[in-house]
Amino acid sequence: MTVKDIENKLIKGIAAITSKAESSIKADVPFHELGIDSLGFVEILVFIEKTFKLRLIETDLTKKDFETINSLASFIGKKL
Amino acid sequence: MRFAIPSSSKKRYLSGFDWVMGVVDYILKRTTCAGNIFQLVFKLDSTVDPETVQSCLCRFIKEFPVLDGRVARDYNLAPYWQVPKKDKGNSLNFNSRRLENSPLHGNAWSLMEEWVNTPFKNENEHSAFHLLNTNSGESYFAMTFDHRLFDARGAESFAHLFQQYLTGDCNSHIGDVRLTASAELSQWADKFYAGKNVNRKIIALSKTSLRALPVTQHCEAKKGFKFSLIGFDRQKTCEIYENAYEEAGYLMVMPYLLSVAIRAMHGLFESRGLSADSYIIPVSVDMRSSQDIKQELFFNYASMFLFQIHVDMLNDKQALINEIKSQMYEQVQSSLPKNLLKASLLLRIAPLFLLRKIFLLPFGGKFASFYFSHIGKCSYQYPEFMGAKINNIFHMPCVPTPPGIGIFFNSFNGQLNAVISWLDGLVSDDEILALENSLRSGL
Repeated sequence: MTVKDIENKLIKGIAAITSKAESSIKADVPFHELGIDSLGFVEILVFIEKTFKLRLIETDLTKKDFETINSLASFIGKKL
Repeated sequence: MRFAIPSSSKKRYLSGFDWVMGVVDYILKRTTCAGNIFQLVFKLDSTVDPETVQSCLCRFIKEFPVLDGRVARDYNLAPYWQVPKKDKGNSLNFNSRRLENSPLHGNAWSLMEEWVNTPFKNENEHSAFHLLNTNSGESYFAMTFDHRLFDARGAESFAHLFQQYLTGDCNSHIGDVRLTASAELSQWADKFYAGKNVNRKIIALSKTSLRALPVTQHCEAKKGFKFSLIGFDRQKTCEIYENAYEEAGYLMVMPYLLSVAIRAMHGLFESRGLSADSYIIPVSVDMRSSQDIKQELFFNYASMFLFQIHVDMLNDKQALINEIKSQMYEQVQSSLPKNLLKASLLLRIAPLFLLRKIFLLPFGGKFASFYFSHIGKCSYQYPEFMGAKINNIFHMPCVPTPPGIGIFFNSFNGQLNAVISWLDGLVSDDEILALENSLRSGL
């Protein structure tokens, strides 16, 4: 799976979680600017576990890994 | 087969969580006389003309006859909010006062507590507005609401809409407010399945003994709630958010604040010498997306996480934060907040007095150790209110009793507030002071 494929899947999932149109989710915008709070963020982590079989809640995630959908897709790509 | 009974403009069906808020109102009216009341307070840096506020409010609330509605139920099972015709509602409940000076912990604070503890005049009144101008040039504007009609973010949005109305940019937004909801009288298997999962969770939680403060007749005789506000300036708030990132992780402010609140409350319970295995903390979560807030302004859109923390975990802060994150993850994964919403739809058939008894069955009637919430982003987004600059916005919510005590965080313009709310008589002034100090030092 390419980073672009991962990015597209993340955008779909985040659009569903935030009730926003996929076209309004920009891959280079920080998560906190998408109006995501602790609950929304945990929902995204659960989505990632279901979709990519990766449990990220217990890993040492840094702000940089989660800075944008781009950087998260790269992080997931390395873990897969 | 799916079918839906749509509500008319005069009939808004209540969700399960709206009905739960009705049960809390019923319980609190028997404990404090006032009911499930919530107050939103604006601290302003200048005084405001009372007559202007009154006339603007009077015109504005006439746009919302829902404010004068009441709970009703007819031939089908679902209760609804009966909305009167426009211009048939109550008159505006507004009062203004002037004080000599404005210490927030002096006369002004006592008045604000008095407003929250004052019952509405009748079954059709669900809001009251108070303006307090001080001779030192500051003022406080308080909106006191029936929690059955607004949750915290809804109340902030209502205030935002009012300010929008004053700026003349409101008509289209008033039209956005959604006042219809399905009766939700279909997909029963789904609701029963959700109910089964919620029951399992509650049974699992009730297997260990729960620490809670005893609500005695002495507390109930006091008939009211007390509040304590701990405000943090922008610099300290930045430090707190930075600590939250370092210790709990990115966007994990809520678990971090909860960990500090639990440790502070632990100190209080330890000083009382209460022995039990664990704390149970219901944490309310907003189930709206940020877009919905303009439409879903009235009624309740919250659900809950239920955290159980064993006493032996309290000495290690990092272990506590990890446990909170882990429980939060598992509850999202098992859809507990969504299941609570679905399962609560089944409760609507039961009358309030019966539900009051059912709610007290688990945990030997203790229900929870304390309540907690954190509202991250304020829905009121103007820097001023009625022409006066806003110094702060904070919340004063009554707490379901039992447990009768809660810690509530909100923020406005980069400033974090913590409000402790408790049933008068439940804890002493010294204990509240110790709790405040623990919260400050823990953050």
